[in-house]
Amino acid sequence: MTQIVRRVVVALLFLLVLNPNLLAADSSENNEPVIDVMGKVVDHDYFEIFNQKIYLPRIFLVEGGLHVYRNTQSAIESGEFQMVDGTMIRADGATVSIDFSITSHLLFVWFGMILTLLITFWASFKYKKGAGADTEPKGTGQNLFEVFFVFIRDDIAKEYIADNKHTKFVSYLFSVFMAISFMNLFGLLPWGASATADLTVTATLATITFFVTQFNGSKDHWEHVFMFPGVHPLMRIILTPVEILGLFTKPFALAVRLFANMLSGKIMIVCILGLIFIFTEIFGPMIGVGSSIIWVALTAALYILKAFIGLLQAYIFTLLSAVFIGMAVEEHHHHDHESSVAMTKDVQI
Amino acid sequence: MVYLAAGFGAGIITIGAALGIGMIGKSAVESIARQPEASGDIRGAMILTAAFIEGVALFSAIVCALLALQITV
Repeated sequence: MTQIVRRVVVALLFLLVLNPNLLAADSSENNEPVIDVMGKVVDHDYFEIFNQKIYLPRIFLVEGGLHVYRNTQSAIESGEFQMVDGTMIRADGATVSIDFSITSHLLFVWFGMILTLLITFWASFKYKKGAGADTEPKGTGQNLFEVFFVFIRDDIAKEYIADNKHTKFVSYLFSVFMAISFMNLFGLLPWGASATADLTVTATLATITFFVTQFNGSKDHWEHVFMFPGVHPLMRIILTPVEILGLFTKPFALAVRLFANMLSGKIMIVCILGLIFIFTEIFGPMIGVGSSIIWVALTAALYILKAFIGLLQAYIFTLLSAVFIGMAVEEHHHHDHESSVAMTKDVQI
Repeated sequence: MVYLAAGFGAGIITIGAALGIGMIGKSAVESIARQPEASGDIRGAMILTAAFIEGVALFSAIVCALLALQITV
């Protein structure tokens, strides 16, 4: 059985080598750019599967009224919207307040959320029935779930959120870890796209972390932002703006880190596969076909690296969220410390 | 000219980030060699610090990408 699987995989790998060459031969006939790197990375208004494009609905909010169309084409055909430089504007000059259109990246965000929900509901159903709670966990799925969950709870939440306050945040941290992992790894599937290679998605995630952090901030957290105990009062003029800025730069860095990591991985894969096209263009088809073995092998290695980076970035996002939440909820014990110092002095006297 | 600036920028970012992450890796390996039983904690701290450096480096990488692609905001 494994022999057959192995042979099928090897045959598919050879097909992978052949397929880009056919595409390269196609694209060299008409005068298009050799490879469209950014087109592979940006958001689209269609969902592509098995080389079939399924166009997604467009929804616009124009001055209080909701306009819903089946796809971009029907929105243009209705005469109310025009396409200018890739964005949709109203034909009669009214401004589009919010573009609620469903795009390919949004679809992958939903897939990630649905998978996370399904897995957690399935696991909670199993634990309610008693498997895992009273007995040992059964099966690969439940064991794997428990490994991830215990890792998030013990190594991230408990470690960085002090004073046993972590129980409130474990659910958020776990769901954000699972959702980001799925969103990152969807980019490795054929016709898939990693939704986290879009700044809007990561910014939304970072905004949620920002609100969770600020709403759970302790008195000491706000005291350290505005009052600075033990610092000369005039220093507040400099330090307060810096601290207030610091509140916003933390989630901003969180968003940009995840976005840039996923985007760079995607661009690198497209560029290295694109070297086949470029070599075909410069040295002719024979060298292009011959060198494609190297580029496909390199891409396979990059894919493994990208799978690792996808999990690592989900881990780092969760870890830093936990660190920021931990910094905000922490309660300092200045007075206890001072009184204990005073007590030891008394004893010495 | 813009491409030149973007290229130089990317090179300088790489120097800075490589120095920073290299120093983290050096001291992490040294401290694991001194105290192998604390390797778990050291690894966590190492990844955390490396993530901070990476974040700063990627900020500037995005600035370079915006320069090279000539996107005006």
